[in-house]
Amino acid sequence: MAVLAQRNVSHSSGYRLRKVRNKVLFWAVLALFIVFACFPVYWMFITTFKEVNDLYNLQNNPLFFHLPPTLDQVRYLFEKTNFSIWVENTAEVGFVVVLITVLVCVPAAYVLARSRFPGSGGLSMGIFLTYLVPPTLLFLPLSQLVAGFGLVNSKWSLALVYPTFTIPFCTWLLMGFFKNVPKEITEAARVDGCSRLGAMFRIVLPVSVPGILTIVIFAFTLAMQEYVYALTFVSSSDEKMITLGVVTDLIRGDVFFWGSLMAGALIVSIPVAIVYNLFMDTFVRGITGGALK
Amino acid sequence: MVAEFARSRSLGLGGTGARIGHLLDGERIFGYVLVAPAVAYILLLVGYPFAIAVWFTVSNATTARPIAEFTGLTNLLAVLDDDIFRRALANTFIFTITSQALQMVLGTILAFLLLQNFRGRRIARALIMIPFTIPIAIGAMAWTWMLNPTYSVINWMGVHAGLFTEGPNWLGEEYPAMISIIIVNVWRNLPFSAVVLTAGISAVPQEILEAAHLDGANWWVRWRKVIVPIIAPILYIALLFSLVFTFTDMTVVWLMTRGNPVGETHVIASYAFQTGVVAGSLGRGATMSLFLFPVLLVGAILLLRNLKARTID
Repeated sequence: MAVLAQRNVSHSSGYRLRKVRNKVLFWAVLALFIVFACFPVYWMFITTFKEVNDLYNLQNNPLFFHLPPTLDQVRYLFEKTNFSIWVENTAEVGFVVVLITVLVCVPAAYVLARSRFPGSGGLSMGIFLTYLVPPTLLFLPLSQLVAGFGLVNSKWSLALVYPTFTIPFCTWLLMGFFKNVPKEITEAARVDGCSRLGAMFRIVLPVSVPGILTIVIFAFTLAMQEYVYALTFVSSSDEKMITLGVVTDLIRGDVFFWGSLMAGALIVSIPVAIVYNLFMDTFVRGITGGALK
Repeated sequence: MVAEFARSRSLGLGGTGARIGHLLDGERIFGYVLVAPAVAYILLLVGYPFAIAVWFTVSNATTARPIAEFTGLTNLLAVLDDDIFRRALANTFIFTITSQALQMVLGTILAFLLLQNFRGRRIARALIMIPFTIPIAIGAMAWTWMLNPTYSVINWMGVHAGLFTEGPNWLGEEYPAMISIIIVNVWRNLPFSAVVLTAGISAVPQEILEAAHLDGANWWVRWRKVIVPIIAPILYIALLFSLVFTFTDMTVVWLMTRGNPVGETHVIASYAFQTGVVAGSLGRGATMSLFLFPVLLVGAILLLRNLKARTID
């Protein structure tokens, strides 16, 4: 201890200066990154609550309020646009997407994670690669397929199509959860005469509830923020989901209703941002397919 | 103990349940039956549409007349002859490579910052994640508003900081528009790169790094020869995703510039949307959107091969 103290003293003031300099540099660079990341959100926020006279007055410093904040733009969003219908549509379509995803993913992920059968490795790789098929590759043929199902310009076309990306993503994610349930538990149940299906329903699923809840959340938020398919399949305002509605319906001709547009943007962003921040590590694990344990 | 628990749970199985259960008891049948719905869904709504897309590329289908005749390579030749498409092809590569390079460099810096021990690290991390957590369409709209020709807050700040006297019309001129699109792509994907790199780097055993340090390896050698080889698998997968999604994204371009001025900022995906959906020419549009598929496929296979070879080591 004494030796250490002595060494500290014997360090020249140059050492301390360097330490301070490093610290200042660290915080300065970090602050730059944070400002770059957050400024657009601050800008959404301030646009949402500004009076129109303040927002479009070029004499004012745009970074601050010059008139008291107002809820006019939010009110306009709820009263003069279809915003509440978009919220309803999002809830309905999201619910169906979640239902399909869970019903399809849980059994698939279960066997791919816990059984070995001919082709199982290839199948899990195939499902993983499906997630890499981008919407921009399939929107044209899918629009024909959707027409074939009689779902032109209907929100239900989205409920049909969105599982194409929620299924691969959630299956892959769920496989990670199922792999973590010790094999011994199911083996013991099997020895005691429990069927494979019984072992799944009675032993593994009950302890995997957190995993299933996670895919419910991801399936819903992935559906909620999708844009390309929504833009392709749905054009009438009262069939739109929330993200598409906000970014298309608040532009009338050349006039952008920036205040209400940013209000809608903020309302969509906040819940999704919170969820993704809480589940960020799980999300990344889902994407990277457990390449790193 | 475990067996006890399992037995008590399995006792509740009823008659019919047990019979279905036993029918499914072969490992193979059980596996195939449970995977079947997922495979069926993907075949019907990904595989089949993909086949239609391939048919579109060699036919003259339009939205008004989806049943079409075989026209061979007409679409491909027409697309290759289209100046806007050629520009879009170049743009796609420029945007993807530039934003990927920036993300790698900035992401590494950011990852090392976030790995430091400091007060408020969790908050800093959450704030830095924000661009990745909000829907891409919303983020693109916020930037469009920030870069508005009249009310651009970025220009206001630039003018007041003395950087320029007027500021460019960001989304209305060729190069500023291209820069804007790259910035928004980097803004959006930087947090993802940083998270992946942070997760990777923190999984590198500390002892190895210390040993390298004692052997006199400087930070660059430690990074190149110790950290990168260890985190390579996760880097490859993250790179694959990042590349595919930047390569094929049309949201940013479509919302911010719609390909303007005069088609100079289109990427392949946005021009395919313009041609196939807006103009209704299914054949041409599909030819465009499938144009890069072979490149992507080969890239993906190479990356995954490499990954497999490394994880076996």
